Amino acid sequence: MNLMAQILINVIIAFLGGSLLLGFHRKVMARVQLRPGPPIIQYLLHSLKFFFKETTFPKTASIPFYIGITVILAGIWVTGVIVGPVTKGSLMILFGIYAIHKIVEHNAGSSSGSPYGKVSCVRAVFSAAGELPLFAVIAVVFMLTGTMDISGIIAYQAANGPLVLQLPLAAIMFFTLIVTKSPYSPFAITKGKEIISGFETEHFGMLRGYIMFSESIAWYILLWIFLTVFFGPISVVGYLIGMIIICIITGFINATTPMLNPNHSVMAQISIAVICTVGSIIMIII
Amino acid sequence: MNKMKIASYVVFIVSILAILYALIFNPADWIVYAIAIVCIPFLVLSFGLISMSKPIKEEEEERREEPFTGY
Repeated sequence: MNLMAQILINVIIAFLGGSLLLGFHRKVMARVQLRPGPPIIQYLLHSLKFFFKETTFPKTASIPFYIGITVILAGIWVTGVIVGPVTKGSLMILFGIYAIHKIVEHNAGSSSGSPYGKVSCVRAVFSAAGELPLFAVIAVVFMLTGTMDISGIIAYQAANGPLVLQLPLAAIMFFTLIVTKSPYSPFAITKGKEIISGFETEHFGMLRGYIMFSESIAWYILLWIFLTVFFGPISVVGYLIGMIIICIITGFINATTPMLNPNHSVMAQISIAVICTVGSIIMIII
Repeated sequence: MNKMKIASYVVFIVSILAILYALIFNPADWIVYAIAIVCIPFLVLSFGLISMSKPIKEEEEERREEPFTGY
């Protein structure tokens, strides 16, 4: 199939799939908290609705940066779609995408001129250490499979069985990252409710819809990478079931766990990364 | 029509044309990647800037001074 057609189809699948999964995640959280919760399709409807809402740009915002950062966010997640489902490229590029995602959180907060955005901006720098588990996972997977390419990792699993059985601690480490990136996460210090919506506070109206478009792609790609890297070549139904199960587990965790303070959040992630990395290396050596 | 609206229409049309070029003429992979990474985000942004509703003139200043900006 034509490459551009593949990219467009995958971007649309990632947007629709990610939006519905985020809606489902919110529904699970609501049910755990004994609330009816919004319909599963609500996240998708919100994303589309915001494109038609009344939008102004705040007086205190640095306008080129304030708008440009949302374009960068969409750009990195279109790149994520290309590196992930389309070409099954290198995990290192995905690590780079997450590094840029942190920069987006930082700059979206600072460009708005809002004090809440600025607190979020500082926390984004602080929580960059939370990306350590992803880097550790890539290193451990490379040590075992000898490749960083997703296609190579899939081929390795086709021959040797799923990595989740060989590197369970690395899978736990990656799952920690998924919990960190999930909405209302105990680790999501950049979007804590005490700072309204953190770096997104001043991005309302159409720009909020645009950010939600990127975030739904980001959530889909994150789950896709986890399932591909640790469960090997699986079918479309396998991906669907896997993504739903992950949303149920993260929804349950987030519904029952209060948000950690920034120190505890970062230290907990680093501790999990260190323990799981050392454990995984020992398992590979043995 | 203000400058932003005109710029949005221009970016929207250029993005559509670039994506159509990649779809129809199937250029080298790196050109397709560049078009996708640049033009898809700009296509969505420009669509949003065209479709968004604008506040009425009298209310615009008030909207620009939203309470969350603080200072």
